[in-house]
Amino acid sequence: MEQQAIIEANDPGTAVVAGSNVGKTFANGTVVALDNAEFTIPKGKFVSLVGPSGCGKSTLLRLIAGLIAPTSGHLHVHGTQVAGPRQDVAMMFQRATLLEWRTAIENVLLPTEIAGNVEDADRERAMELLHLVGLGDFAFSFPAQLSGGMQQRVALARLLQTGADVILLDEPFGALDEFTRERLNVELLRIVAEVGATTVFVTHNIAEAIFLADEVYVMTPRPGRIAKVIDVPLERPRELAIQTSPEFNHLVDEARDVLGAH
Amino acid sequence: MMDPPKSNRPNALWLMSRFAPHLALFGVLIIIWELLVRTGVITTIMIPKPSSIGASIIDLYFVSGTIWPHFFITLTEAVLGFCIGAAIAIALAVGSSLSDPFRRYVMPYAIVMNVTPGIALTPVIIAWFGFGMGSKIALAAVISFFPIFVNTLTGLMQVDNEREELFTSLGANRFQIFTRLRVPAALPLLFAGLKIGLTTALIGAVVAEFAQATAGVGVLMNRFSFQLNMGASLATLLSMTLIGLILFYSMEFLDDRLVFWRREERREAVSRKRARAWKRRAETSGRTR
Repeated sequence: MEQQAIIEANDPGTAVVAGSNVGKTFANGTVVALDNAEFTIPKGKFVSLVGPSGCGKSTLLRLIAGLIAPTSGHLHVHGTQVAGPRQDVAMMFQRATLLEWRTAIENVLLPTEIAGNVEDADRERAMELLHLVGLGDFAFSFPAQLSGGMQQRVALARLLQTGADVILLDEPFGALDEFTRERLNVELLRIVAEVGATTVFVTHNIAEAIFLADEVYVMTPRPGRIAKVIDVPLERPRELAIQTSPEFNHLVDEARDVLGAH
Repeated sequence: MMDPPKSNRPNALWLMSRFAPHLALFGVLIIIWELLVRTGVITTIMIPKPSSIGASIIDLYFVSGTIWPHFFITLTEAVLGFCIGAAIAIALAVGSSLSDPFRRYVMPYAIVMNVTPGIALTPVIIAWFGFGMGSKIALAAVISFFPIFVNTLTGLMQVDNEREELFTSLGANRFQIFTRLRVPAALPLLFAGLKIGLTTALIGAVVAEFAQATAGVGVLMNRFSFQLNMGASLATLLSMTLIGLILFYSMEFLDDRLVFWRREERREAVSRKRARAWKRRAETSGRTR
């Protein structure tokens, strides 16, 4: 009851992900991975979690994904408590984690296969998604025939195939080179805007966090906590060039101050 | 509008230039060997002349054909023994990978079976199963078991945490994780085990034949050796090599077909095949709609 009150107070009706007093400890309470996180993410918003290792950003993401359970507090997605992996939440990892014995399109169809039977409509959707991520011509290639960036695009298409409207990304392009990563970030913005997903993006790169997000949660370690929430009022759609603007650099400084002071 | 089939077959001239040096070396070695025996440097009782091995080959394989019934008996023993050993090994490995307690109970026996020389079981197995094919099949099964068991288990136990997390986040159950992730990921190691197991199965069959048997290439070779007919003895040995090659390459072929994603050429072939299948399905479903 109290939970419902918090969600409504923060953003009546539109909060998609909401956490109140969310905490996670490991090793019998000796390691506090995440301490007392309070947040609400409205529908269709893009939130970046940024901070050094051990700040709890990946823990928070896994909590929302339902891969781990919180030791304290409550976490809600679409108004229902998170009790495990769910259909409306999907996650993407730093490695593409494709199955090398499946073609790109078969990898994209994996979520449908796990959920039940694959229908013609699912196949059509998978093909559309591959076109959306720019890999229409590579539907029948195996992962070994694709570059690292292309593999992540397949992973993104697979994530969208789940039909989830909450998308969790754990440093998805972290293993790629700078140029590929920047290009994919721009495409990511286009794609999530097109499907209207609510997105949580984990990174340790401040500029990347700001460039992508509507809100940046700056997180600090020992204990892991959300130290500050920075609103990013930059216009959309965004070009890479905004990273040289004074407003952008002001936001970077603001985040750096929080991390530096810690 | 079909592309002509791409031919990767090298032409005869290329093959000649590729293998000529090897053939030449082989020829020279044979000639030196023949000369050493003919000039009496090596006595024929110890090592036969290549020419007398050749004469025995022609007789055993082509003129009298004596070798063939024995050849097929040994081949059958090795294959059946392998199949039994592999079936038990894979079943136990699957069980062990799914259940920790099961693995803890099975492992000690598997290890004891491995460190005990399987070949040493020959007299016991012959006492149990008799002089016929049964004892050969049993020994082949016993000694091919362990390499298959260990490789399959290692393959199935490989855990890729991120991939498992992916499956979990998609709501996959244990059965789906097993069939769609663990089994395909284990296939390369499974086949490595099967290839070793197939070769050891042949050793098992032949050793049991040497010990006590009524038929098989091991019996034939024993007989020729007792007669000091070294030419025929070595000609018989060649049949074992032949069986070994047949077994190994059949498994290699299966490996290449089933674990197709390792080789560029196979990946491309399968990729084209799946694209065609997709197109066909799209066409038929378009018609029915």
